[in-house]
Amino acid sequence: MLRKLFIVCALVATLAAQSKKPKPSPAHDAAAPAAAGETIALKGGKLLTITHGVIENGVVVMQNGRISALGGAGTAIPAGARIIDVTGMTVYPGLIDSETHLGLTEISADRMTNDELENSDEIMPHMHVYDAFHAESALIPVTRINGITNAIVAPAIGDTLPGQDSFIQLAGASATEMLAVRDIAMPLNFTGRQRRNQNFDQAKFPFTRMGMATQLRQAFIDAQDYEQKLAAWEKKKSSADEKEKEKAGAPPKRDLKLEALLPYLQGKKPVVLAAEEPNDLLTALDLARDFHLKVILNHVTHSAALLDRIAATGLPVIVGPIYEQPKESERYDVVYSIPAQLAKRGVKIAFASYDAHQARNLPYAAGYAVGFGLLPEEALKALTINPAQIWGVDKDLGSLDVGKLGNVVVANGDPLDVRTDVKHVFIQGQEIPLVSKQTQLRDQYWK
Amino acid sequence: MARRSHMFGVMLLSLFCVLGRLAMAQQSSEQQPAPGFHNDVLIKGGTILTVTHGKIENGSIYIHNGKIAAVGQSVQAPANATVIDATGKWVMPGIIDSHSHIALDDDVNEPTNPVTPHMMMKDAFDYNDKAIYRALAGGVTTSLLLHGSANMIGGQAIVIKHKYGLGRDELLFPGAPQSIKFASGENPKRVYGTRNQLPATRMGNFEVMRASFIEAREYMRQWDDYEAKVKKGDKDATPPKKDLKLEALADVLRGKLLVQIHCYRADEFLTEMAIAKEFGYKIRAFHHALEAYKVADKIAANGVAIATWPDWWGFKYEAWDGIPWNAAISAHKGVRVALKSDSEDVTRRLNQEAGKGIHYGLTEDEALKAITLNPAWIIGVDERVGSIDVGKDADISIWSSYPLSSSALADKVLIDGDVYFDRSLPGLGLTHYKEGQ
Repeated sequence: MLRKLFIVCALVATLAAQSKKPKPSPAHDAAAPAAAGETIALKGGKLLTITHGVIENGVVVMQNGRISALGGAGTAIPAGARIIDVTGMTVYPGLIDSETHLGLTEISADRMTNDELENSDEIMPHMHVYDAFHAESALIPVTRINGITNAIVAPAIGDTLPGQDSFIQLAGASATEMLAVRDIAMPLNFTGRQRRNQNFDQAKFPFTRMGMATQLRQAFIDAQDYEQKLAAWEKKKSSADEKEKEKAGAPPKRDLKLEALLPYLQGKKPVVLAAEEPNDLLTALDLARDFHLKVILNHVTHSAALLDRIAATGLPVIVGPIYEQPKESERYDVVYSIPAQLAKRGVKIAFASYDAHQARNLPYAAGYAVGFGLLPEEALKALTINPAQIWGVDKDLGSLDVGKLGNVVVANGDPLDVRTDVKHVFIQGQEIPLVSKQTQLRDQYWK
Repeated sequence: MARRSHMFGVMLLSLFCVLGRLAMAQQSSEQQPAPGFHNDVLIKGGTILTVTHGKIENGSIYIHNGKIAAVGQSVQAPANATVIDATGKWVMPGIIDSHSHIALDDDVNEPTNPVTPHMMMKDAFDYNDKAIYRALAGGVTTSLLLHGSANMIGGQAIVIKHKYGLGRDELLFPGAPQSIKFASGENPKRVYGTRNQLPATRMGNFEVMRASFIEAREYMRQWDDYEAKVKKGDKDATPPKKDLKLEALADVLRGKLLVQIHCYRADEFLTEMAIAKEFGYKIRAFHHALEAYKVADKIAANGVAIATWPDWWGFKYEAWDGIPWNAAISAHKGVRVALKSDSEDVTRRLNQEAGKGIHYGLTEDEALKAITLNPAWIIGVDERVGSIDVGKDADISIWSSYPLSSSALADKVLIDGDVYFDRSLPGLGLTHYKEGQ
């Protein structure tokens, strides 16, 4: 017992001594194997490039899956390109939803169609959403025809460590092509909602936040221990000294759960730290500091009092849902205002729908945040370049720039407005038909 | 048997409330204009969306004693009227939510019997619930607070005005007709079916309803017989036992209640309308109504309205065919369409929901009506609220920009001519509420 405590203390001290500077995001390749196809030129639209302002009456050319040229009216269009006149339309990069459950659910009420959470234990880092991702889900076309071309797919929030996220493209021949980056990040949820053993008569550990935090610490310590054993074995195994090599013996028994934690403990991949209340946020941040996790903050919906502190961490924040109710004593707009308040403090924010069926409504949350003081260009960044940078896919996504993937949307107005109708969606330079289960029903009955 | 005696207890408890409520409704409807509102207000300079007669640029509204006294480009108002400068703002009627469950704590369903028409929402109304305030801050001035959908017949609703900070009775919409909530489909099936009780199927659902109305008819006949005997001077006539449940069902058959039916599937709209025809009552509106677009012509022909969401779908089987064009297809086939919240969250931004209606095919006017005059009709208060017309209650919301959009905010919200919410005020922005009162 004492020994364990000593180890924990020593560990905390060592970790605290290390630098707290966030490590740069690993760069990911978000492209599926290049889809050759027609060359498309969008002509006459208002280009919201995100990275270099607005170009009126612009031209975007997409070739071999990527944006090959972009600029004003004089931009050369290659011979043979299909020219789409988008005069009067707005052209912008495909939107990125920083948390969805797309492909993990079909009909919410039917358990057999839900693969959102493995709730047999709180610590399930070895669950990979790519194992459940249903590429043919009817929800995906519904979402993409409203201009969302990429998304994080995350398990539900019910476990402290529910598994690992994948980053998807909302079109592709199969799951293989759509799962652009597997295991891109790992959620760590600490909102109180992970407590599920609250029946006193059948109490089971962990019952409280204390139990959950301790369980998390132990899991990380176990993983570090596992890592050390592996390293020691490998050291012996690769020793030049034959005697040492022989001593190595059999490798440590493989443990998928602990193994899953290693890239996160090594700071190679980000942990998405979900907390809502200030106390939970502080506990979660302490945990992250103690184990040197590379952090993306998530929710912070009720932490309006800690915004300066959040800004001081320099961490990016996935904001929302901004539709979360404020506390009874609070003004009605406390939660709505959080994106604006964070952006004002220089925090890099990204929006998420936290949904599947209604992921298509992602841009409207950003639009509402504009009402509460977020600058419209910041709001648009929080749906494009910011998440692209946060998730390490900005080489391919997040702006209209030559060389990036042809994930481009054309709409008849402000991308953030509820009234705006999307007219064209391109993913990797290919036009996506504006067809879903819902448009088919519409066309069947609207006569 | 045990349940029956429990039910009887509940009935007794509710008796006084029922009688009190009927008396109140009657009294109030005779007292128009409503007493107690002493105000002279001039809203000046905004773009007014009247709902019934188009848009007035740079218009004004004169409010006198709680009512709209004049509206137009220039209106006469006394010099001492309080002026609200709405220059550069948008002015529309207060939003009306025709399907809400706020301010009821968790007392939305009495899931102990599939037919509980005598459960009176007023008995559970928590008028201090801050959800009333948060909806008000989103421009909502009137809501229909309905029972849930655990039961085929859930109980009788209340209509409130969002005068947050006032007492319980002041929040009740004076003279509003009484609505009753029916349900159908998966929810009653699930609630009773999982207990191995009737109803566990849609067959059971509708059988339970028919049986209830047959019982109510018999009850009415007994009372008719008794009254006929009394009329004839029969001194030995004994009255049948007063039964609150059957009394409430009889009120449905007598056409005294507005019937609001939770219903998703196309086949169920048809069955509901057939049962209504069989027993001779009218359906006011189908709520949720996600498949209305499949049988919109039939719904329109029966004069039934729908209160739907612009885009909810897929959360259960009966919501699997929900499409966001439902409102537009139904409206274009002649159905009166309201967009409602059914949600403590969404009720705070029904203006956005109406904007989505435009996205999915409603005209701007239809979308505006869908959160004002049409829900007012569903609730039965369209003569009183839902448009900016002379003689109507001065329930008005003033917006920072075109309201049916993503980023418009309600700046001020007036009810009966008094400001109840003002975004520019510190704290909660409320004018009639003190913390801890």
